[in-house]
Amino acid sequence: MSVLRLRAALGPARLRGPGISWSVLRNYSSASAKEKASRSGVCERTELLEVLKARVKQLQASHIQEVTLNKGELAPLGNDKFQEPLWKAVAPGPMGEQPGPQGGDEKLAWPSGWADKLKKEMHIRQLKVERRLSIAAAQLAPGGQAKKKPKVKAKGKTKTKDKAKDKAKDKARESLKSPESLKSSGSLKSPESLKSPGSLKSPESLKSPESLKSPNSPKSPKAKVVAAWSQSHTVPRIIYPHGKPRVLTVKEVAKPPRPQRRAKDSSQDKVLQQTMHSNLECFLFLQKPEEAERFLLLYHSSPAKKRLLDVNAYNIVMRCWARQGNLKRVNLLFSMLEAMGLRPSLDSYAAVLECMGRVPPSTKAVHRCVQQLKHDGFHVDELFQKCLFEEDEKEMVLKAIRIVQPEYQLPPPPSPQTCTSSLLQDFYSKEKMVSYPKLDFSVQELQERFQQQLEMELDNTVTIESVESTKPLNPQAGKARELLATLRSQWHDSLLQALQKSKHSMARLTTGSGHNTLYPYLCLLPDEEYVAIMLQILNSLSPQGESLAVLARELGNKIYDRHVMQRKLRSRQLEQVQEIYQGYIQLLARDSQPHQYLPREYWEKLVADAGFGPSLNLRDCSWPYVLLMRLGMHMLELLVRATKVPRNILNPRLEPKLIPVLYHIYSFHSSGQVGLIKPHPIFSQIMSDAAEATLTFNSSAIPMLCPPVPWISPNFGAFVLNDTKLMRFVDGAVQHQLLLEQCPPVNLHPVLDALNQLGNCAWKINQPVLDIIISIFNDKGNEKLDIPPPVSEAPKPPTSPSGSTGSKTQKHELLLYKKKVAEMHSLRMDALYKLSIANYIRDKVFWFPHNMDFRGRTYPCPPYFNHLGNDVTRAILLFAEGRPLGPKGLDWLKIHLVNLTGLKKKNALQERLEYANEIMEEILDSADRPLTGRRWWMDTDEPWQTLACCMEIAKASRSPDPAAYVSHFPIHQDGSCNGLQHYAALGRDLIGAISVNLMPCSVPQDVYSAVAQQVEEFRKKDAEQGVRIAQVLQGFINRKVVKQTVMTVVYGVTRYGGRLQMEKRLKEIDGFPEEYLWEASQYLVKQVFNSIKEMFSATRDIQNWLTESAKLIAQSGRTVEWVTPLGLPIVQPYYRSKATVLNCGMQHLSVKTFYTNQKPDTVKQKNAFPPNFIHSLDSTHMMLTALHCLRQGLTFVSVHDCYWTHALTVDVMNQICRQQFVALHSEKILQDLSKFMLETYCSPDRETRALWQKKLMEQLSNVPETGEFNLQKVMDSTYFFS
Amino acid sequence: MLAGRAPPGAADCCRRLLAATLRPLLCGLPLCWATARRAAGQWPSPGLRLPEAAEVERLVQQAQRGRASLHRFIACPQLARTVQRCLQSGTGPQPVLLEFAPGPGVLTRTLLNAGVKVVALESNSAFLPNLQSLENSLDGQLKVIYGDFFRLDPLVPGALKPPAMCSNKLFETIGVAAVPWMADVPVKVFGILPQKTERNMLWRLLFALYECNSIYKYGRVELNLFISEKEYKVLTAKPGEPRAYQALTVLWQLGCEIQLLHMEPWSSFVTNLKNGGLWIPKSVFLPNDHLCLVRLTPQQNLFTGGLKPTNATTFIFVVKQCLAKPKSRLTDRLHSWSLDDPGKLLRQLEIPRKAQARDLYPEDYKHLFEALQNSNLFIETWFHDEALESIRNINL
Repeated sequence: MSVLRLRAALGPARLRGPGISWSVLRNYSSASAKEKASRSGVCERTELLEVLKARVKQLQASHIQEVTLNKGELAPLGNDKFQEPLWKAVAPGPMGEQPGPQGGDEKLAWPSGWADKLKKEMHIRQLKVERRLSIAAAQLAPGGQAKKKPKVKAKGKTKTKDKAKDKAKDKARESLKSPESLKSSGSLKSPESLKSPGSLKSPESLKSPESLKSPNSPKSPKAKVVAAWSQSHTVPRIIYPHGKPRVLTVKEVAKPPRPQRRAKDSSQDKVLQQTMHSNLECFLFLQKPEEAERFLLLYHSSPAKKRLLDVNAYNIVMRCWARQGNLKRVNLLFSMLEAMGLRPSLDSYAAVLECMGRVPPSTKAVHRCVQQLKHDGFHVDELFQKCLFEEDEKEMVLKAIRIVQPEYQLPPPPSPQTCTSSLLQDFYSKEKMVSYPKLDFSVQELQERFQQQLEMELDNTVTIESVESTKPLNPQAGKARELLATLRSQWHDSLLQALQKSKHSMARLTTGSGHNTLYPYLCLLPDEEYVAIMLQILNSLSPQGESLAVLARELGNKIYDRHVMQRKLRSRQLEQVQEIYQGYIQLLARDSQPHQYLPREYWEKLVADAGFGPSLNLRDCSWPYVLLMRLGMHMLELLVRATKVPRNILNPRLEPKLIPVLYHIYSFHSSGQVGLIKPHPIFSQIMSDAAEATLTFNSSAIPMLCPPVPWISPNFGAFVLNDTKLMRFVDGAVQHQLLLEQCPPVNLHPVLDALNQLGNCAWKINQPVLDIIISIFNDKGNEKLDIPPPVSEAPKPPTSPSGSTGSKTQKHELLLYKKKVAEMHSLRMDALYKLSIANYIRDKVFWFPHNMDFRGRTYPCPPYFNHLGNDVTRAILLFAEGRPLGPKGLDWLKIHLVNLTGLKKKNALQERLEYANEIMEEILDSADRPLTGRRWWMDTDEPWQTLACCMEIAKASRSPDPAAYVSHFPIHQDGSCNGLQHYAALGRDLIGAISVNLMPCSVPQDVYSAVAQQVEEFRKKDAEQGVRIAQVLQGFINRKVVKQTVMTVVYGVTRYGGRLQMEKRLKEIDGFPEEYLWEASQYLVKQVFNSIKEMFSATRDIQNWLTESAKLIAQSGRTVEWVTPLGLPIVQPYYRSKATVLNCGMQHLSVKTFYTNQKPDTVKQKNAFPPNFIHSLDSTHMMLTALHCLRQGLTFVSVHDCYWTHALTVDVMNQICRQQFVALHSEKILQDLSKFMLETYCSPDRETRALWQKKLMEQLSNVPETGEFNLQKVMDSTYFFS
Repeated sequence: MLAGRAPPGAADCCRRLLAATLRPLLCGLPLCWATARRAAGQWPSPGLRLPEAAEVERLVQQAQRGRASLHRFIACPQLARTVQRCLQSGTGPQPVLLEFAPGPGVLTRTLLNAGVKVVALESNSAFLPNLQSLENSLDGQLKVIYGDFFRLDPLVPGALKPPAMCSNKLFETIGVAAVPWMADVPVKVFGILPQKTERNMLWRLLFALYECNSIYKYGRVELNLFISEKEYKVLTAKPGEPRAYQALTVLWQLGCEIQLLHMEPWSSFVTNLKNGGLWIPKSVFLPNDHLCLVRLTPQQNLFTGGLKPTNATTFIFVVKQCLAKPKSRLTDRLHSWSLDDPGKLLRQLEIPRKAQARDLYPEDYKHLFEALQNSNLFIETWFHDEALESIRNINL
């Protein structure tokens, strides 16, 4: 409190120069805006400041050099080179850098000398400057001189104080930084010393460290800076803690070179900072404020680590204390934070107010606090609009506010914003708003389903019956299951013991050093849960073993997920979600009023109505990847060490001895070695004998039993409790999340709404088909029908399995056998998971929440069973909602059937329909007697979907009125070579457009045949001219040879890759002379590229333009970023990977780390840009189609470029799909891209003289020309999507 | 183990001396002398002319057509002489010398001139005509075979496509029968390991040696190989040497007597690179200024203890596992293989409990393995898959 009072007393007069408003100093972003305006006036001042800073640094360095001579232990401190070793050396003891008391006098001597020297120079310089500079600078001068006087006085005082302090220091070292000792030891940092008027005369100088912070410093008058520095140096106690950050800032300002070094530092800093934050968050979660504060002080008092501290770190600790209602501690931290020169943030005030709400102090105190909050440019309303409160924090803050403003009301929620994208004007226009389509459920039913889902997620794992369990149980299995049960309970006990032991030993260790330890992370969950997680890993381990890194990551992630769930429970987030969801159901249920809202809008409205503010979003607390791995490794080590099995368990003749269940082994590959964890064969044997009838999954692996929570923000949506990211990314990559968070929320609305639309599609199981599949699965499988047979069906192993003596061929056979078995095992398990999940939800209606990859392509979240799966999984999925077939529905079913067979690809739709009618008998036979009849369906491209379709046709055609038959069957419409379609539309390529069906044609065009034809023409010409290889290739060029290459051209295949594909195809052709393989493939790939160039002339130009642009961007050290027409920001996450080596007990683990300022991988950035860009367009097209289908009340889902809907609505969907394609490509996509990239990469305030910059600008502005294809033609093209 | 350093650097003077080595045909010796020598494996010198440096380069460049990987060849006659002397330096009867990848044949001619019976195994068909005409001009002293020493007995199914070949066929063609392990060296092999596959070859040869497979089916074949200096340093490293002491070290030192015959700077060799560059492999921690001619003679007593060709793969695997993390404690390693009392085992072997994997002498590993075999605790089949996998990675 005292500090607050003090600060309040000082008021606005403190640091401000004349004419510079508080908000400028306070708010970095507004400062930078303002800066532009007043640049001319300020820059000279800034210059001066820089000169001075540089000089300060010089003096500092030279002085420390002097000290080096007589005091070795002090030497490395100021020296850049030694920063890192020092850091380590200092780390263990916060006081380590302090010289012994006997060195006190010597130490006292030099800072004053230093300051004198500086003062003299300052004076001279100032005189010079005064003469030279403008009036503005001159104005500042008196202030500076005035400030120097108190400084000298302060020096005199501190000399006497120092002796006392030396004593205090010793004491402090013993008392090991407990919060209590803070008062005595850190006297200068603590409010007491700040309060005591004797210690420092000038109140200004107290605040002075603040002016050191670079964001503000350019603004602050130079003299103050000097005063601050010299002042701090008269006080040896804070020389070192303050020394380091200052040297760094100065270096940044005064010495621009060495960017590499800086980048490295800051990326390291970033991970250290993240680790520190998550550690502090842990303490907050554990409600251990003492620990948190001790940890913070560890950083606070270490000169090397101090620079890692930011305002958030203090905020977390303040919240810790606030929760306990310890206002004294909170104030202390608040003052520490200010003394560090950090600017209190909104959260800092929230913490103080929360604490005041808990333990109401005098009204005056609250008043002052609110006053100061306003001084700092914040508003009370902002507290409730921006802060993410947990538990009862909000109520407490409100309580505190109402002490001073009894009438205070929560601010009204911000009015919802609407997306302004031209593509979606219709969609979002309020006039045309229609009510959201209803589900066939009552409110009551949906509520029950939500409860089920919630319970499932609360349980964390779901144990379901395996489809194999219907097999009869043999006695051996019964025995093995019993054995396994006993073993598991033993393992459970020993794991628990091991965990507790390791925690115990860590806890002892922690009290000493307190950093870089996993201890807090081992306390987050109940011990039992850690054990359960470990046992879960053990159960799912494949007999072939698994790489250490994969297991560690899995363990780490599981713990993290579990912790996030706990936080959601604890922070009352779940309660709020539950409450909102109850209202949300009203939008979907059939027995509720229609609402003209989108799910997201409705949810936001409900949140606003309930006055929850932003707190449904959980405060971000993601753990650094390195930490996840470390934690996982620790768990894994416990698991390997603690689980044992008697080795005579299967062979009683052996003497009893416990041996580990898991063992660690290296596998050697051409490039290095990979650590594996393998289960002991005994364990694998027991597991396979037991053939357990249940499978355990994470609850997020099961489709949702209620409509998913709509996506509201990048951090909120999908499952009720399970943490789901809006964007999938590689482990450790942080760029996407950052980008999404920086993006204005309204820009994300279209994407979020599209994902919500896809996720809201309800599904059910096609039970008859599922039953047939399971019967085959439980019989012997069928490789032809893609039902993997059990491993027992594998061909017998070759003889002499012990075999190191066997001949080479035997060895080879054995290798093949092992490989085959491993493959079969994984295929079988995959199918088992899928079928078991499908079987588990066979009577239920379920939903697939969706998220997307970094290009915006959408995916269902549950990993095993979803509609993106293979033929088998797609065949057992039906829309839960049924629609009558309507007049054309049956025809669509038949056409769809023919499409699935792959038989009449080149024929018109009418011909396909006629063909279906011709073979009606076969269709009905397949439907009626799938396994006993003529089995026509088995010989098709997609046999299971064909069968399902046969059954649907049979039912529909036999119903009295097929048009009224209610069908749940999804009809697919596929884009024909969708990538090339987008390219052809981008470039308006006429010939290209025809060949990929953008132009209306009576029969579908086949781009592969067209290319093959073109290649053949080229070949003929060459052959006539006597080119040998062209003659050799006569009669070998066909659709099949070129197909793969043409297809992958879109995805940026290179000549090299294309040649390899060609070689493969040619090898498959019987009778192709082998000696010509290389030459022929080389020739062919050249001709294919030429043909594509001929047909899609603009396409290649665009591709080259994209590639070249990406190359130049990457070479300039930036990553390629763009924004889709729907406003989704995209960044390519390809960086030159830097591996951090984790030194874990069992093995060193090399972990790839990503940071924002990493160097991009030029080759990947360049090669991947064209395909990624095209994918971002196709995903945009899909989302546009999805959104507009929603407006028309259609059921719509997609598998990338394959769109699904009911038979009734196929025609409507087709029309929308074409409309949206035309609308999308009517946008100036490439021009917009060029504009965006020019803005991003060639902004005028960056260095423009550089050659690369010019080149880049030229490249980016030079958008390729387009052809004369009339885009509107797409509207009438039947085979565009078919 | 070391033969001491032979004087390096014959490259500089090689061009000057070239003319001197051209010798007139020698045919004046009495016939009976020739047959007697021939019987002892020593032929009369045919007095062949060595190709000149420029010619060698032209030959090598011609052979570059197609896409051959980097190879080195001996071009300098003096170096060829040095190598020839080194090869003949052993005592006892001189067995047949198999020279693989002779290329332009400078050494081959030098050897022939010195009266050695040579089998040339050439995989590059561009060099073949030249060698074959040489073969035809001689009376059986040279035999030329189209084949690739590096693709002997590959682990692939089906019929082998030349130049890949089966060692059975090779030895049949040479006319050498298998001899017992304890017998004398049946065949000497000479060649330069190609840089890119050097390490891989060293592993493959090692597996063949320990399993008595491939060429080692015919007895203790003596290898005389030019290998890079860094690999030589690895092969001859001492326990505890950081970075140099590896699994390869342990296994080669146990398996063979390693003799350094000669060291020659990289620049003395001709490469088949288009620009004639030397392309010396980088080495950060170990010196790498030379190619080293080393003689690897399999130990007679390799299989006298518990180690047998049948369990040798497991042994190799054990050593590899131990030295995968050289600083790890041996007890920890053993522990992770389900041995519950590794301490006792180590005590028996008088290995300190705290010993790190890299501290153990090669013999210690052998003893350790033998002890493991006897301890009845050790289930080698666990390692089987992994060991098999590592063979596959090497043998493709």
